[in-house]
Amino acid sequence: MHSVHSASGTDDHAVVVTRVSDTQWHAMEDDRVVGHGDASRRPDGRLFIGIDAWHGAVFDRIADAMLADLPTPLYAVADEADQDSTSAWERAGFTAARREWGYRVPTDPQVTGLGSVRTPSGVTIVPAGEAEEGPLRALDRIIRDEVEAAVGWQTMPAEVLPRPAGTTVLDPSKYAVARHCGQYVGLVRVKPLPRQPRIGLIAVRADRHRRGIARALLAHALGSLHRSGTAAAWAEVDESNAAATALFEGIGARRAGSTLELVRR
Amino acid sequence: MTKTAGGVEVEGTVIECLRNATFKVELKNGHTVLAHISGKIRKNYIKILPYDRVLVELSPYDLTRGRIRYRYRA
Repeated sequence: MHSVHSASGTDDHAVVVTRVSDTQWHAMEDDRVVGHGDASRRPDGRLFIGIDAWHGAVFDRIADAMLADLPTPLYAVADEADQDSTSAWERAGFTAARREWGYRVPTDPQVTGLGSVRTPSGVTIVPAGEAEEGPLRALDRIIRDEVEAAVGWQTMPAEVLPRPAGTTVLDPSKYAVARHCGQYVGLVRVKPLPRQPRIGLIAVRADRHRRGIARALLAHALGSLHRSGTAAAWAEVDESNAAATALFEGIGARRAGSTLELVRR
Repeated sequence: MTKTAGGVEVEGTVIECLRNATFKVELKNGHTVLAHISGKIRKNYIKILPYDRVLVELSPYDLTRGRIRYRYRA
């Protein structure tokens, strides 16, 4: 696919935006690529676009071409601290749909106060790598269905990895789980990145909420990281998720950035 | 150093995270550039931290500016 979508100019030079494939657009100026855009569909079906350009005018041209070609709604992601980027998206008609706070989470029990946390009565924590895969997948399915039936995954921090159809647990060894009466009832997934591990998911079955299980899972996960010499982890929390915000801020996690998800309907 | 359709790309190491979502990156040739994150990295929630090894596309308009297009696995 090589269709020219628009021609414009920055200063004295003409910029031509061309769709070079189903998912890619190039902005050319004097035979040089001065910007590009790409589109990709998330596992939840939403279409996200990204644009890179050295000038705002080129960004606008690429956005015009992509918007003319693609169906709405379209989504984009921007670092809220990047004012150039967020204002460029706003010029293209995008508005903020939701915000995720990025938290730097300390692991030291002296800081988090989690050293004295007692696992709720009858609950045991199964460390990462020791959970049985079948029950873990069943718990993950139950929790996902509960979230989908309530606020929905679209309000959760994005999980963007392509997955085989129906698969939500990619690597069972990354999960620690809480077991109660022989049944898995909560889970925490930690991606062990060397410099700053990421807490990708922490969740408890709806019928076991408000018993301190999430806090016990967090105490276990952060304690393990601390013992292995890691000072801090990273977590993203949707600003509307009051329970998760309270959980992380209650252990001394500090906001270290924010990501905006923008939409054009 | 490689030249791609998007411009000159150079490997470097992130030495500092700055405000406004930009990063100070030391290139292999010893030069330092200010770089921001590509839309693709942002879209995929890839986190950039100090000491990460990255691939930077240099701006054709200002060689002290760049865009982080890829983060190598540690």
